[in-house]
Amino acid sequence: MLEMLAYPFMQKALITGLFLGVVLSLIGVFVILRRMAFFSDGIAHASLSGAALGYLLNTNPLAVSILFSAIFAVVIAQLEKRAKLSSDAIIGLIFTSGMAIGILLLSLGGGYRPELTTFLFGDILAIKWSEVGLMVGLGIMNIIFILLNYKRLALMILNEDLAYVNGIKIDLLRNLLYVSIAVTVVMGMKVLGIILVSALLIIPIISAKLISRSFRSLMVTSVAIGVLSVLCGIFVSVRFDLPTGATIVLTGMGIFAILVVYSKSKQRLIAARRHA
Amino acid sequence: MKILSLKDVSVSFGEKTVLSNVSFEIKAGEIAAVIGPNGSGKSTLFKAILGLLPFSGSIKINGRGIADELHEIGYVPQYFDFDRTMPITVGELLSFTRRRTAHKESKEICREVRIDQLEDKLIGTLSGGQLQRVLIAQALLKKPKLLLLDEPAAGIDIEGAKAFYELIGHLNREHNLTVMIISHEINTVYEFADQVICLNRNMVCFGPPHTTLDAQTIEKLYGTKMTAHLH
Repeated sequence: MLEMLAYPFMQKALITGLFLGVVLSLIGVFVILRRMAFFSDGIAHASLSGAALGYLLNTNPLAVSILFSAIFAVVIAQLEKRAKLSSDAIIGLIFTSGMAIGILLLSLGGGYRPELTTFLFGDILAIKWSEVGLMVGLGIMNIIFILLNYKRLALMILNEDLAYVNGIKIDLLRNLLYVSIAVTVVMGMKVLGIILVSALLIIPIISAKLISRSFRSLMVTSVAIGVLSVLCGIFVSVRFDLPTGATIVLTGMGIFAILVVYSKSKQRLIAARRHA
Repeated sequence: MKILSLKDVSVSFGEKTVLSNVSFEIKAGEIAAVIGPNGSGKSTLFKAILGLLPFSGSIKINGRGIADELHEIGYVPQYFDFDRTMPITVGELLSFTRRRTAHKESKEICREVRIDQLEDKLIGTLSGGQLQRVLIAQALLKKPKLLLLDEPAAGIDIEGAKAFYELIGHLNREHNLTVMIISHEINTVYEFADQVICLNRNMVCFGPPHTTLDAQTIEKLYGTKMTAHLH
């Protein structure tokens, strides 16, 4: 297994996977707390327009997708505040419009685009060093943002009025959170693709909830499960020649299943001791 | 000394006026109860005082604008809806809010509002009364001069509500804390408040409850014949 580490594709995949595991799980805690899993799905699909424009202009599709996702995030945040529409309706609007623009732009380019399957299904093993640099840089920025603001973010999500009275600039923090989620989702698409990216925002957190007894332990455990899922998924997929994104998601589901059994057994044991 | 003064305050959402020409003054150390039927603008009044809603007219706290004195206001919202399965402890919730108290003083506040044994408990497992006391503690950690409580006893049983009002009275006396409280319980307002503000989109009455809250005013406010029975 160690000889795998000698391959540059494996080194790039593991560095990127490590950062993505940390960032997606940390951001995922706030996605679950705010009940906005649909937002991440919407951003993933809408950012296809950025990828398509990147291919059409022969520039870095990942960078253009990240830029587009940040713009979509701010538009959603502003519409949520100003328009008399539900959050789901606004995200649905951006989701479908972004995809429609993406399909239109792809048709303008003409011909078959095999690189686009990377965006649909992810391929961490095909990642370039320039993309590793971009992801590590953005990953560090996101981690710093969350660690500096996690108390403010949690209070804002629990009750915006209470957060405001406690001196938190709600509009600014909400926009930053949305941009942070959007950028993280697009980074995750490189590994898991548009379709599966939400899994890493959800599975580590719902798994960690089963065994966490505080918010801080939830954050730490989510990150541990996220990183474990990504790294194990990469090794297993390379060893058995399986699709990496799907293997990562199923590894996460395996950890979740083990923790469900552990947590239920523990509850039964506690109940049995009480009756004894 | 006046801590809060409102002059001709009105709030509208588009064409609809939900609060019209409300004026009153609250002195430091008083307990003021806001009463009125559902939809009468009570919560809107609080949101205007907090600067959460645009309004016309003037609102002064300690003679200054809201933004300058926001740090002097503690607030307990009417709704605190959250995912109860999220593992957040009472201690963590309190740490999320801005504190102006030293560690020892924070401990003392938690003891005073009787949540000192709850620090490691998850907020999703608290009873309504316990959660309300935690929310009061978070407001007090700011060391506010003015405490706004939006229907704090809603959903709490009679005994719990009685204990809750006793706690508010204690905080008012011991800390010279000015309290504004939205309440539906007219009997409690009679016993407990120094001033009563009756709202039904506009201001129906303002003054000490014993002289202000007569049968005629209550009928004007709620549209039915009601009387307050003192215990």
